[in-house]
Amino acid sequence: MNQSEREKAMTLLAHQPAFIYRLRFSRSGSLSFIGHLDLMRTFERSLRRAGFPLLHSQGYNPRPMLVFALPLGVGISTTDDYVDVSLAEARDIMEVMAGLQNALPDGLRILDGWPVPETGGSIMAMVTAARYRLQAQQIFPALQRLFLRSEVTVEKRSKGQLRMLDIRPLMLALEHGETENENEAIVLVCAGSHENLRPDLLLQALTAFEDFPLQEAANCGVERSGLYAGTYPDLKCFKEMI
Amino acid sequence: MNRTNKYAPVVLERGDLLSVENPARYTGGEWGITIKQEVLDEIQRTGETKYIRYAFCFPDIYEIGMSNLAVRILYHVLNQCPDVWCERAFSPWKDMDRLMREKYIPLFSLESKTSLRDFDILGFSLQYEMCYTNVLQMLDLSGIPLRSCDRGEDDPIITAGGPVVYNIEPMTDFLDLVMIGEGEEMIVEFMAEMKKYKDSKKTGQPMTRETFLQNAAKIEGVYIPAFYDVSYQEDGTIREVKPNRPGIPAKIRKRVILDMDLAPYPTQSIVPNTKIVHDRAYLELFRGCIRGCRFCQAGFVYRPVREKSAKVLCEQGIEIEKATGYDELGMLSLSTSDYSELPGLTDRLLSAFDGHHTSLSLPSMRVDSFSLELTEKVSETRKSGLTFAPEAGTQRLRDVINKGITEEDIMTSLALAFEGGWSSVKLYFMLGLPTETLEDVIGIADLVRKIEKLYFEVGRKTGQRMRRLEMTVSTSMFIPKPFTPFQWERQNTMDEFVQKQQILRDRLRSKNIKYIWHDLDTSVWEVVIARGDRRLGPVLLEGYLAGHIFDAWDDCFSLGKWMTVLEKHGLKSDFYAIRARTPEEVFPWDHIDCGVRKDFLLRERERAYAEQTTPSCREHCEGCGAAGFGGGVCYESK
Ligand code: SF4
Repeated sequence: MNQSEREKAMTLLAHQPAFIYRLRFSRSGSLSFIGHLDLMRTFERSLRRAGFPLLHSQGYNPRPMLVFALPLGVGISTTDDYVDVSLAEARDIMEVMAGLQNALPDGLRILDGWPVPETGGSIMAMVTAARYRLQAQQIFPALQRLFLRSEVTVEKRSKGQLRMLDIRPLMLALEHGETENENEAIVLVCAGSHENLRPDLLLQALTAFEDFPLQEAANCGVERSGLYAGTYPDLKCFKEMI
Repeated sequence: MNRTNKYAPVVLERGDLLSVENPARYTGGEWGITIKQEVLDEIQRTGETKYIRYAFCFPDIYEIGMSNLAVRILYHVLNQCPDVWCERAFSPWKDMDRLMREKYIPLFSLESKTSLRDFDILGFSLQYEMCYTNVLQMLDLSGIPLRSCDRGEDDPIITAGGPVVYNIEPMTDFLDLVMIGEGEEMIVEFMAEMKKYKDSKKTGQPMTRETFLQNAAKIEGVYIPAFYDVSYQEDGTIREVKPNRPGIPAKIRKRVILDMDLAPYPTQSIVPNTKIVHDRAYLELFRGCIRGCRFCQAGFVYRPVREKSAKVLCEQGIEIEKATGYDELGMLSLSTSDYSELPGLTDRLLSAFDGHHTSLSLPSMRVDSFSLELTEKVSETRKSGLTFAPEAGTQRLRDVINKGITEEDIMTSLALAFEGGWSSVKLYFMLGLPTETLEDVIGIADLVRKIEKLYFEVGRKTGQRMRRLEMTVSTSMFIPKPFTPFQWERQNTMDEFVQKQQILRDRLRSKNIKYIWHDLDTSVWEVVIARGDRRLGPVLLEGYLAGHIFDAWDDCFSLGKWMTVLEKHGLKSDFYAIRARTPEEVFPWDHIDCGVRKDFLLRERERAYAEQTTPSCREHCEGCGAAGFGGGVCYESK
């Protein structure tokens, strides 16, 4: 971007309000195997293909302003995730949804969307809990036993360092899936920028404490199926916050 | 062979994918890929398909392969053919390679996850010599016999194309068919033959592989290695290369696309889901190079220069940016500054992208006032680095190699750049060039030091506050490549190279200068393979079986191990690398005709020794032979 463009962009940000659209999306198939940065890039390019007037961040390397509610780990699919997209002009929400959907690669779907006020606060800061659907042989009883423990201390690698962490307080609830079968479980865990329990850590605890087979844990299907704000047990589902 | 699970998709378990580095390399599903649903439907219904299944294979990892323009172009061309479905496959990285062997997972295409074994053709894109053993890896993981002579009627046809095929002899044991030159038209003609071959298999009289290859050999540019016999002299050089079937041409002439404006070009190209090495959209400004630097193979084998018009490029650029969503458009050619309509093109694109946050990248630019101004205009991150490739340290040696850049050029443009606030410079040189003396090597250090001094002088003169100067000096080893005026030359020995590097290390010690040098070992092996003959086939095979893959990656490559294999086969690297050739010697690649005549190359070699330069094709035509293709710069008025 040259000088004049940069100035233009800054003026835009200073005088023009941002029109923010919250989009609910799902991902599945091959798209589940990309990392968070790759997912962001994929959304950016799709929005550019759709031709929306994207607002860009300021600074040395301006990027379209996209805010994801909660990063998705590699290998995790989702049926309930959110991204806030900032546009320079108001658009009809149906147009935003349909336009973006047509430009997304297979595996990413826009499920819903609505405008949110600029003053609404960062979506990232709002997330407090997430629901995951886990699918593996005999995973439900194993999790049931794990939930009976009062302490579940696992080794967690963060920023290249190993430390011990009791994840039990982050495990909120366990439920059956729709079919009540032993090979499926729904867990509710703390999530967000404050305290976050990644599902792989939960699976790691299963193998460490409940003799859950490594192979089953590695191949366990992991799908995020809900994102929440609020304090447990008074959680509010994002999709109901229109 | 009638396998019941033919065309069944390969399924990778989640745990497997999560256990390897960047699983997105293996999952496909990108924006812009071609899925021919009608093929899948037909297979579902009948168990077979009349479509030609083409696996476009790149023998390196996904992130490198997807950055290649030829992959994008030919994928597009093939999928435009109504009877063909082209899919992609890349070399699995070592972790995935291990896993696939352990679990007997066959190599598969990214689009439909079909095992490569079930394809009609595997077409390899060979961009550099060091990828050869990865071709064997991909064949092996697919369960396809490695050697052409071991393949049967039901095996896929294995083909290759790309810049290295001008001397493909070391790989001929493994390839059924090679395409010499630019592929856009040739591959379509080849598909027509392929279609007849495939259709015949359903009739009572299926065409044999032999007949098919004989038919394909009639296509100009197609080289069937098995149809040529090579005999050797006592001293190990080649006696002759001769066709062993009637009707097979003695020489294979490369193909070129004459009208670049009409050449098919993908504006809806694939946009990877994961970051690749060159993560941007491309425009191809022209093919060939007018300059004729005497060490540069590309400068000769891609002759003549053929430009795309700015009008067409502008249309394609606008369309690509919109269709892909990329925020960077790269201008590709061997020498961007030589594009005749560059100012007009960049102006038009920049105004079309106004407000889009899209930048242009212009690699291979000469540094002058125009390019400095342009760089400021076009790129989002300005004042990054300036790049110069003087290649040699003294004017004498630059004349020998016909590098038309003088010290004055460099100094004037750098003074301009330093005044404009640039503070980072990259300089590329080559060691071991023909006629090089230690004086020339010292000349490199002297030139670098002069530039360093210039920077601070500019600061004093203008009173500017100068940032810290960052100079990177990089030397690579001269590799005498086929089809250059230096193809007869010897390479320096290891000792000579080491001595020269040491001279530079001693003289380039400064806090402003970073000196990096290329891996010596790789250069030695590269020259052996680049100038090698068919006797290297068994060497490559044995090296592969011993586990040598990803030789293009410095940390995977081991020269010692290759030398052992080479010697076991009674061959010496010095024969290929250090030995100077006589003008009479028959080269392993002499039966390939790239358009440039041998006598012209010899003339250029003599001029090099006389320290005489040769003007560019735009200034004066030297009659190299490439005019025989009937187009391009040779027919522009001079
Ligand atoms: S024939 Fe002349 S103009 Fe054409 S490529 Fe050769 S030297 Fe250049």
